Amino acid sequence: MRVKDGFNNLLMTDPGPLVRLTGVGKRFGDGPAVLENIGFAAHPGDFVSFIGPSGCGKSTILRLVAGLTAPSAGEITVGGAASPAGVFLVFQDANLLPWRRVSANVELPLMLRGDSVSVRRERVREMLELVGLRDAARKFPWQLSGGMKMRVSIARALSVSPRLLLLDEPFGALDEMTRNRLNEDLLAIRQKDPFTALFVTHSVAEAIFLSNRIVILSPNPGRIAREIAVPFPYPRPPELREAPEFLSLLAEASHALRSVLAP
Amino acid sequence: MKRGSGWILPTVTGAVLVALWYAIKGFWHIPTFVLPSPGEILEAGWQERRTLLSSILITGRGALLGFLAAVGIGFLMSLVMAFSFRLKQSLYPYILMLQMTPVIILAPIFVLWLGQGLPAIVAVTFMICFFPVVANTTMGFLSADRGWGELFAICGATRWQEIRHLRIPAAMPYFLTGVKIAGTLAPIGAITGDFLAGTQQNGVGGIGFMTIAYFSQLKIPALFATGLVACVLGFLFVGGVSLLHWLLLRRWHDSFISKGEG
Repeated sequence: MRVKDGFNNLLMTDPGPLVRLTGVGKRFGDGPAVLENIGFAAHPGDFVSFIGPSGCGKSTILRLVAGLTAPSAGEITVGGAASPAGVFLVFQDANLLPWRRVSANVELPLMLRGDSVSVRRERVREMLELVGLRDAARKFPWQLSGGMKMRVSIARALSVSPRLLLLDEPFGALDEMTRNRLNEDLLAIRQKDPFTALFVTHSVAEAIFLSNRIVILSPNPGRIAREIAVPFPYPRPPELREAPEFLSLLAEASHALRSVLAP
Repeated sequence: MKRGSGWILPTVTGAVLVALWYAIKGFWHIPTFVLPSPGEILEAGWQERRTLLSSILITGRGALLGFLAAVGIGFLMSLVMAFSFRLKQSLYPYILMLQMTPVIILAPIFVLWLGQGLPAIVAVTFMICFFPVVANTTMGFLSADRGWGELFAICGATRWQEIRHLRIPAAMPYFLTGVKIAGTLAPIGAITGDFLAGTQQNGVGGIGFMTIAYFSQLKIPALFATGLVACVLGFLFVGGVSLLHWLLLRRWHDSFISKGEG
């Protein structure tokens, strides 16, 4: 392993993994193992989706990578370093601060890391433009729909240009039309402002539409059961969802997921 | 019910109560030194207006100082307790104990230490206002959403940034609830204070002091009028605190927004 020099160096010298999990296990206290022997690597530009039944530890993987909790076994490196700097998590619920306006919510990570006011203002404007919420800057979170809140949350995450974006079922609570729309927008945003993503979802179709790799987890304890490559090139048009290749991959992945549940 | 018509019902209730008052007094021929009529009370209040105005200022000053001290010290104390579990464990039982000790027992002790007058009155008010502020604010500091804490952790926020930009705003609704309760108690505290530890100048003291004075002089309508004056002071406090509440929370807090419009 020669990737120990941080992300920039790594990109220049070797397109090696941006995030690597080696033999990672997790248990909370004396409880049963939530994750066992997770070995996995994502490369710059990857969009990896994790699917699996409830309780298979999908979200825990993201929380481990984000550094919110420590692994009980194994090793996690991000950009070759053990610290999770440059990683941002988009939470299940949008997790906006209700007392801050939309612009102030997007601004928060920039403010916390000490950017100057003028830099912050410019970046917030850019981000709100990117997620299509320029007109909502002065609103408070309670004035937004679920989909809009999620857009704000994504804008907030992207404001610091993270090299790795973790998305924990971000669209799970939305209706299907809004969810599809946000999926398309997320890919469009990624065309403009590239990021590497680990994405947790319950929806096989969503996973296929968004990602180039799908990791299927089996439960009790969570293990990687199978990985499926998604061969469709980016950018992906919405019509991809109706294409025969898409549908046959959907059938394959759904079957794989089912066999994980009842082997 | 339409907005703006909110004053009709209370006014009707008031009129009915006043009528009932007169009826009871008239029917049983209750003498004024037992139950003065509302008119007699207002008249006595008007005659004693200079005295009562001074007394409201004296009591109001004690109430305000005690209230502000309780809010300030209560806020800081909660902040400290919220961030040190050990400190909270060590201090909280004794704060509770102080709250359990009746103020009428503490008042003579304060007089012993501070003498009759303003300092003792402020101390009594403080004792009565302190607990609701501490209890609510501590709760507020501890009840910030876990997800928000994780957001700050991911952003690499320092402890101070977390306190300033997360804990304090998240605790605001709780803190202001404590302040509101303290606001209703402060005039009562100060009146109790000058009832037990008040002083007078040329026969004029705080509201609590005047109660004793009027009672001993058998100026019964004026005694009732001090009750009215105490109400006015109470409403001033509650009004001020509600205004603060509104100013700080109206834009974002659930208690001021109707979700249906979103």
